[in-house]
Amino acid sequence: MTTPKSADAGQPLPNAKLGPAQAGDIAANRKAVILIVEDNAIIRMGAVDLVVHAGYEALEASNAEEAIRLLEARTDIVLVFTDVGMPGTMDGIKLAHHIRNRWPPVKLIVASGRSIIEQSRLPEGSHFFPKPYSDGTIVEQMRRMLAPIETRQES
Amino acid sequence: MASVSASHLEAASTLAVVVSSNEPLLFLTDDLRVIVVSASFCRTFQIDPATVSGKLLSEIGAGEWDMPKLNSLLQATAAGSAQIEAYEIDLKRAGQKIRQLVVNARVLEDGDPDRTRLLVAVADVTDARADARQKDDLIRDKAILMQEVQHRVANSLQIIASVLMQSARRVQSEEARGHLHDAHNRVMSIAAVQRHLAKSGVENVSLQTYFTQLSDSLGASMISDKDRLSIVVSVDDSVVKSDISISLGLIVTELVINALKHAFPQERSGKISVDYRSHGQEWTLSVRDDGVGMGDSAAKAGLGTGIVEALARNLQSDISVTDANPGTLVSVTHLADVIDNVPAAA
Repeated sequence: MTTPKSADAGQPLPNAKLGPAQAGDIAANRKAVILIVEDNAIIRMGAVDLVVHAGYEALEASNAEEAIRLLEARTDIVLVFTDVGMPGTMDGIKLAHHIRNRWPPVKLIVASGRSIIEQSRLPEGSHFFPKPYSDGTIVEQMRRMLAPIETRQES
Repeated sequence: MASVSASHLEAASTLAVVVSSNEPLLFLTDDLRVIVVSASFCRTFQIDPATVSGKLLSEIGAGEWDMPKLNSLLQATAAGSAQIEAYEIDLKRAGQKIRQLVVNARVLEDGDPDRTRLLVAVADVTDARADARQKDDLIRDKAILMQEVQHRVANSLQIIASVLMQSARRVQSEEARGHLHDAHNRVMSIAAVQRHLAKSGVENVSLQTYFTQLSDSLGASMISDKDRLSIVVSVDDSVVKSDISISLGLIVTELVINALKHAFPQERSGKISVDYRSHGQEWTLSVRDDGVGMGDSAAKAGLGTGIVEALARNLQSDISVTDANPGTLVSVTHLADVIDNVPAAA
């Protein structure tokens, strides 16, 4: 249950999945890269969809280990949007702390169905949303967090 | 009824009271020698009543009452320098489980200043403690289970919301997309109550908090230009049962969606006000917009209207739609003890 190639056979999305080549084609205006970490394939697809439609490039991982491998391999990830409850040795909260320590500039958005306990255990500066989140709210938060970066890149 | 002043004689009535006490009692001299113990003490701690009189506390039974800490506390009590109140101590006996005891001791005040005697109550709380612990465990288990259920519900709602949004982005028809967005908003509306309940852990929902959450969520998903359109919530401190809050929340969802869709055509700007007041059994929920008004396009029997009517019927309330000039005011009103024989058939 890792990266689904194309679950939606009907209408493949342009630029949806890991497509650095395509993204590079629009060389002039490079898109900000957002990494989605979520073990549930349907929710992950939904998150990829919302990120791509918001005009960003999406990378996906189904657990924390995969996410860390991607962060080590690529230097262009500016924001990680992660779930909390995931199989593996590290949950989303540990992942968030690990990222904050090792890649401090990377912005963090965390979502979970366990809204009560988790908010307080997250690193400073990360943003928490209870599930189910509304796509609009998440996109708004991403824009807010990425606005300084994007303006810097444009100038 | 003479209490003779001879060295070892106690008033018969005092002895009788001690012996017949329901709570295990020890009656001791100031050097911790047993004068008498209650029958309940012997029964509870399996001590032969015939063997105890005149012995030191540390000698009775098989010596299990020889507890240095207890002894020193009792001596201090006898000397008047301490008072034992609910002192907890473990009683250890060979071949038996440890019993948890709560000891209370005081000097007997019977107007005889020359002879100090102690009245010691010993309660065995082992079983009561175990019961309490089991109850705590049950409560904790239940809380964990509730959290687990709520977590799963939240995840399931997320799956539904994700699927609806993905479909909405893919469909070609503007109308179908609208319906999918509406469905998404209905799911989010129920999710907001769910979340509210998970947080407060009670069956009651504060409408002020809930409607605010709800309109924030509707605004985030349906209003692209926040300078143009806004939703204002004004609710008193009403608290309602969760099932009622779900119905009220869905009515608000439908009416707000409706206003956002129809009241502000051609980039018209404006405000939607959600208002709730209650007085005793009576309440009024209203959603008002300052948009274009209904004109002659009134009574459109969309899905939204049907849902609102059904929900209002559930709440035994009436809907009124009036021209707010500008805009439209929809009120749902529940009066105390309206005719309760609402027709069951739909």
